Amino acid sequence: MIRASDLRAPWLWLSLAALVALLVFIVYPVANILTASVSGDQNGWSRLLADPRGLTAILNALILASVVTCTCVLIGVPLAYVTARYRFFGKSIIALLPLITLVIPEVISAQTWLMALGNNGLITRFLRDIGIQLPTFYGWFGLVTVMTFVYYTYVYIGTVAAISGFDSTLEEAAQSLGTSPARSRMKVMLPVILPSILASALLVFTMVVGNFAISMILANRLPLLSVVTYQAAVSEGGAAPVMQSTFATVSVVMVMLILFLNRWIVSRGRFEIAQGRGARPVPITGWRGAVIGLAASFIVIVSLVPLAVIAVGAFTVSRGPVMQWGNWTLANMERVFINAPQPLVNSLIYAGAATLIGICFSALVSYLIIKKRNAVTPWLDYISSIPLALSGTVLGIGLVVSFNSGWLPLTGTATIMVLALLVRRLPFGMRSAQATLHNIPNSIEEASISLGSPPLRTFFKVVLPMMGPAIASAAILTWTTSVSELSASILVYSGGRETLTIQVFRLIGSNLMAYASAYGLVLIAVIIIPIIVATKVFKIDVFASK
Amino acid sequence: MKIHTTLAAAILALAAGTTAFAQEKTVTLYSSNPEQAIEAVANTLKEKAPDIRLNSITGGSGVLLRRLEAEASNVQGDLFWSSSFNTVGAFEGQFQAYESLELSAIPEKLRYPGNLYTPANVHVVVIMVNTDQLGDLPAPRTWTDLLDPKWKGKIVVADPANSSTGYTILWGLHKMIGDEELKKLAANVAVSSSSSAVQSGVAMGEYAVGLAFEANAYPYVDGGQEEIELVYPEDGTFITADFAGLVKGAPGGDAAKTAFDVLMSKETQTALLETSFRRPSRSDIEVSKIVKLPEMSAIKVFDIDEKEAADKRDEFLKTWQSYAAAGAN
Repeated sequence: MIRASDLRAPWLWLSLAALVALLVFIVYPVANILTASVSGDQNGWSRLLADPRGLTAILNALILASVVTCTCVLIGVPLAYVTARYRFFGKSIIALLPLITLVIPEVISAQTWLMALGNNGLITRFLRDIGIQLPTFYGWFGLVTVMTFVYYTYVYIGTVAAISGFDSTLEEAAQSLGTSPARSRMKVMLPVILPSILASALLVFTMVVGNFAISMILANRLPLLSVVTYQAAVSEGGAAPVMQSTFATVSVVMVMLILFLNRWIVSRGRFEIAQGRGARPVPITGWRGAVIGLAASFIVIVSLVPLAVIAVGAFTVSRGPVMQWGNWTLANMERVFINAPQPLVNSLIYAGAATLIGICFSALVSYLIIKKRNAVTPWLDYISSIPLALSGTVLGIGLVVSFNSGWLPLTGTATIMVLALLVRRLPFGMRSAQATLHNIPNSIEEASISLGSPPLRTFFKVVLPMMGPAIASAAILTWTTSVSELSASILVYSGGRETLTIQVFRLIGSNLMAYASAYGLVLIAVIIIPIIVATKVFKIDVFASK
Repeated sequence: MKIHTTLAAAILALAAGTTAFAQEKTVTLYSSNPEQAIEAVANTLKEKAPDIRLNSITGGSGVLLRRLEAEASNVQGDLFWSSSFNTVGAFEGQFQAYESLELSAIPEKLRYPGNLYTPANVHVVVIMVNTDQLGDLPAPRTWTDLLDPKWKGKIVVADPANSSTGYTILWGLHKMIGDEELKKLAANVAVSSSSSAVQSGVAMGEYAVGLAFEANAYPYVDGGQEEIELVYPEDGTFITADFAGLVKGAPGGDAAKTAFDVLMSKETQTALLETSFRRPSRSDIEVSKIVKLPEMSAIKVFDIDEKEAADKRDEFLKTWQSYAAAGAN
């Protein structure tokens, strides 16, 4: 119901403006994908059914995502449990874990793994010498291995948060009632942390389905949904986007189903821990401590290897594609900063703009959704979460198809680059802003208004400062994930607008590992410096909101 | 007030900066060539036409050409560089004929009908060998050496459907050794999705042998990787010209034409030979004086009809698909 008084306040008009923006930049591109799949002489669905390669690609994506989700849970949950509950030698380096997934470009991870486990990899050769023949790394073996080590940290982060939030007095209560320690853990702790584990596992599932960089390098002849989608996108372009739209629709539907499942699990398994007293980590020594410490450090070190390779490669002399390991140079770095700094500048500008606009937009829209409900705001909520269901490739296709020509031609502009990053990462800002707003009592705002401050001023002077820390943490998350974005921007970029990630991808494609490492190292610095500044200088808990 | 004046000054400076930027002419190059080759072009362009700024979009040649086709209503690219006859032939509608000022230096038999495209360089097909990965196998000397089942899984070639390199090599072999022999080869090869993966695969030792263009394989020899060898098959190999074209309705206008002439100039072609080992299409550059590659006259070449290769493309790809599928089992 819209009352006359609503029309006088600014909120309804702001809601409508936000709705228009979301309709144009999210709904319209998605609608274009859906309609394009059924347009043309022969619609995409009948062509898909007639194409065994396409169907296999979809099936393979489902199998891969299921397997990787399982392996990630198998590594992430035990690792989270031991770090949350025990103290042991080497535990401090596990604190680095959440950073790793955020900072290492996936292309470089895949390349590094090839150096270790490819046909001629260090480990492959060693095993071959002692008579063990590994299967080829291209295909299932490589995809599962690399994706597991890239994505298990998401399960780890989710589970650590849940275990630390668990009230250990509950477990003590169970034990004092006569239940054995192991059994009380299973019966009391597991139900409480299970929703978090499942939610992060489903996140991994959706990320594997949408994964672009690792799949491109390692899938080789194995058809995979994300790869065939990208290939269809580049081969069809924006003119007659039938098959890419069909594949994109499949991926959207798949991820949507998973997200609904996720929401259902979260809503069902809600145990409120009123005032949790997290268990104090107990020291664990002797052989058990050594085993746990070694196993945990092994996982972390394996995840860190690509970082070491980049750091060394960035300062290694190369001639064309050949690396001269052991000879050092600053020439690669000189190239990044002096000879060809455009990708660095582009990354900073585009990600900076996307972060700034994204955070302002999410703060305002979240405020509308939670504090100023009207007929429009539920729609703002639904639409702004749509990007969660879009893989980067799908979003890129949507933008190219919608803004290639016509009433709003954006192809070839910087705007479409910013737009790609902005839309893709919008849910981060939205989720974080909404979570804090729930905790700000309405009475504070009402007090300000009753003391004579107009509504907009109250928003800026009272509400916004209270949202400050959450906004800062959302801004950092948006920044890091925007800087490392590849799959959407590689479809929409044009000459002179390549970002650091695109440049790394291109250089690896040209087999210029030394230059790629230099750009990669700078990329990591651009990501990690704001995180360090935020956590050390401003004491912001970056990962809490995730 | 002070803040306002500073702000105004900053805005003015920014505006001045953008106008200066606008006077610089921009040419967008769609290129399937490796970064170092593009850089060589950018460097000579900087010397010969310093007011032109070169942007590049890179990708597989097929991908870029289809992108040009898709962008026809809102043209983004000025120049395309480069791909073989059999690939560019299908995209004639996207290009405009242009007689480069440098055309006279290029032999007539290499040129494209009507100068819709201009040959930029000549590629020679070689067998790239990683001697560390040969095991007990002797290094191949001829194409037929590779048909032995012992080579199964040790040879890599680019997918002919996505790579003009792959297409040129496999079409040539099909003409030279015939269908039955090609079937045997298909059973032995691994197909990579791009041609750059062939060179890196052999260099990293993923495969013992790769079928590649000389210009793409030689950088590993030049870089000092001692186990890499290039074999020019004794039974004859294939050469193909790589063509560049001026996009129809190129937004760069005259600057695009200037950049095109610079691309064909003796300076650029010499630089390309030096830095990325591309044999020039011009007849006035002596290859072996500049790099350690054999002169063209020392290589045995099996002639192929580029027009036939282009016309029968779909048919051949189907045939190859069936061979590859049969070989995979």
